[in-house]
Amino acid sequence: MVSSIFRAALLMLLSLVPLAGYTQANIEIDTPAIASIKRSMQQRHGQLEPYYSSGAIGFTRDGLIAMRDANAVPLAGRQSVNGLIAAENQDRNALYREIARANSHPEWEADIRSTFGQRWIELARGGWWYQDGNGGWAKK
Amino acid sequence: MNEKWLLMMKFLIRILAAFFPAVVSAQAASLALSAEDIRGPRFNINGIRITLTGAPPSLSLGMKLTEVAIQGKTWHNLHFSCDRFHAARDAIRCDKGALRLAESTPLPVTFRLSAPGRTSDVKTLDVRIRNSAGKTGEGWKLLLRTGRAGWEGTLTAANGEVARIVQLLPVSENAILPSSTKGKISGAAKLRADLDGPADIDAHLAVEGVAFSDASGLHAGENISITVDAEARRTLRRIPGQKAHGWEWQADAHWPQGEVFWQPLYFAARGDRFSARGELDDNILHLRTGKLSLAEIGEIDLSGSMDWSARTLHDLDLDAPDLQMAGLYSQIVKPFLVNTSFSALKTAGQAGVKWRFRNGVSEMLDVDLRGISLEDEGGRFALHDINARIPLRATALTHAAITIRGGHISRLPVGPVHIPLEITGLNEPGFRIPRMEAPLMDGRLTLENFSAIRQGQAQGSPPGWRWQFSGDLSPISMEQLTRALGIQPMNGTLSGKIPRVTFDGSAIEVQGALLFNVFDGTVLVWNLKALEPFGSAPSLMADVDMRNLDLDLLTGAFSFGNMEGRMDVVVRDLELFDWKPVKFNARLMSSRGDYRRRISQRAVQSISSLGGVGAAAAIQRSFLRVFDEFGYSQIGWSCRLRNGVCDMGGIESEPLPHGYLIVKGGGIPAITVIGYNRRVDWQELISRLQRITDANARPVLQQDRQ
Repeated sequence: MVSSIFRAALLMLLSLVPLAGYTQANIEIDTPAIASIKRSMQQRHGQLEPYYSSGAIGFTRDGLIAMRDANAVPLAGRQSVNGLIAAENQDRNALYREIARANSHPEWEADIRSTFGQRWIELARGGWWYQDGNGGWAKK
Repeated sequence: MNEKWLLMMKFLIRILAAFFPAVVSAQAASLALSAEDIRGPRFNINGIRITLTGAPPSLSLGMKLTEVAIQGKTWHNLHFSCDRFHAARDAIRCDKGALRLAESTPLPVTFRLSAPGRTSDVKTLDVRIRNSAGKTGEGWKLLLRTGRAGWEGTLTAANGEVARIVQLLPVSENAILPSSTKGKISGAAKLRADLDGPADIDAHLAVEGVAFSDASGLHAGENISITVDAEARRTLRRIPGQKAHGWEWQADAHWPQGEVFWQPLYFAARGDRFSARGELDDNILHLRTGKLSLAEIGEIDLSGSMDWSARTLHDLDLDAPDLQMAGLYSQIVKPFLVNTSFSALKTAGQAGVKWRFRNGVSEMLDVDLRGISLEDEGGRFALHDINARIPLRATALTHAAITIRGGHISRLPVGPVHIPLEITGLNEPGFRIPRMEAPLMDGRLTLENFSAIRQGQAQGSPPGWRWQFSGDLSPISMEQLTRALGIQPMNGTLSGKIPRVTFDGSAIEVQGALLFNVFDGTVLVWNLKALEPFGSAPSLMADVDMRNLDLDLLTGAFSFGNMEGRMDVVVRDLELFDWKPVKFNARLMSSRGDYRRRISQRAVQSISSLGGVGAAAAIQRSFLRVFDEFGYSQIGWSCRLRNGVCDMGGIESEPLPHGYLIVKGGGIPAITVIGYNRRVDWQELISRLQRITDANARPVLQQDRQ
């Protein structure tokens, strides 16, 4: 259920994103590396989802995730949530870099990242948290 | 904290004492007293208003302090009221009082202030704060006695609820505060003061089930039980011309229960202990001896000094000669290695650490490793019996000696290795290895001019380590190497020159060409680049040129069917992901030159089989099956791999109207092999090749069946 939502979200994200200023960028591009990153993110999504819902983790403006309120996680679990966030961000950074590279334009990475950053927030479910334009946390 | 409370209570005594004669003498129905400001050396109180209504014996007392500042802490709107207030000649008493700070819930307080005897020098204040529920006698008790020679206060708690006291704490932003209403304190703290001020403190307190947290939850603890025994005595320092006071103190703490998260560390109590003694002079806290005993890690000796008011560390000496690596890694080191190759290790052995910090700067750090083993939980590597002495100095170059007895990286055995590491300073460390040699199978890997530095946040590149080296691989037998790697056994040797290799934070790049000698030919790998080598999706790119490979050795290795001759292979734009090719342009062709060119019938079958199942059977039906081997003049095959499909071609100089020429006949008997299928699924091609080599490994069965 969770993974199918994630798949749908990712699919929408990848197919609907027009890249401002770079109309020729193919953000749907699929390479084995991109497929592998997406697979890894999809597997992790089920673990992250409860933390998005509880407000422990929020979406940042730069297309990553961050610990928003550690109090929502039992003390003994905070370290492993740190680890999940670090791994997810490593994948997200790699995804943006790979998509730019697969388009043969590594310099597009920053634009791809900011486009993804906006879309992750647009696709976030109600009740999830994200960083607004001023860097403060807002609840969707 | 206790001292401040006592000071505050002492101040209350003063007010009440000043008030006392008035209460006793006044028979009026009501009395109001107010003052703008009372200042003392350590306190400042604004907006004092005291009212007394009713008539004895049923007086009602009200007291309001707008602002109380004691030693930098400020309380706002402190209220105290008492409905059953009794005043007699030698005592005043409140049987039902309530204390609250701003909007906090009122604390049930009773007190009794007595001045027995004729003089008013000796006064006793007895304050009790009851628990909200529970047995009588549980709660907080403060006994304060002042006399001509000083005063003495004792705070006693019998399962005193922390929550009762917490709401009276002054609140400041970003403070780490108790976060739950649970938690109790038992024990006593005693403060004695003479005319020069506080003279000694004794505290024996047991905290049970307390929780604390900052607003973000990144520094928090839960269900914590701690016992603390502390004492401090005022000392007279001998400074010529002036009288100065200092303190001698000692403290012992035991932590039997609870958990603490202090980003990124997490500790669960295992009976850890801390004991320390030292002095406090002019706001400088000296730690003469301190011992931290951490269960499963070991003992750490500490000494140093810090500025108590600024909360800054001046000096620290840390000496921990015998720490258990397993506990040290899992509890302290591991959380800092998230997302690195060392984030999931099984470790064993002993470590020693000695750190010297002077005037806010690290001067030296000595790390001593004894019999350490590091084993990746994913099985990617294991290193055993690591012994090292690693000295680091603030600015000087130091030499570390590291030896690794053995282990493996991937499937390759490692060691024994000696690493002569040079470290260029402590605060911004860089590492160099001028030259080291490591045995690898029956050969030797030489590393030269290794250097690593950590780069901070810079424009256009991620922060992190950058490193580079060059090297050399002296011949190792392919037979041993392939056996170790668990792949198809091969003959020949692998050796090569490793030119400059660099890591720029996201990619490993080999500048120049790697040269290998295999199958009696040469393999040149250049433009070699590994992207995200330590990330979740590492990919590898290269161009490869193979020259004069001996087909006899090559086909023998792969059970392809014997071929004799020489082969060149050119691979351009090779891209591997997860060690599987995802893109390349490859061309195989017979090498130039004069050499024997023979191809066995089985090899012809193998080549034909690659084109499909039907082609293999054709040769069996023809007269050619009587020959074991054939002559050829040229072999050529090409594959352009894109999106999982291999676009095939044959000998470029011999184009055919239909199909492509793979083997051009020559000599007697000659054979020609033509391919017709130009596009084949790469996975299908690989599995066909797999089937062929598997089948050829059992040639007798294969022939019988046909």
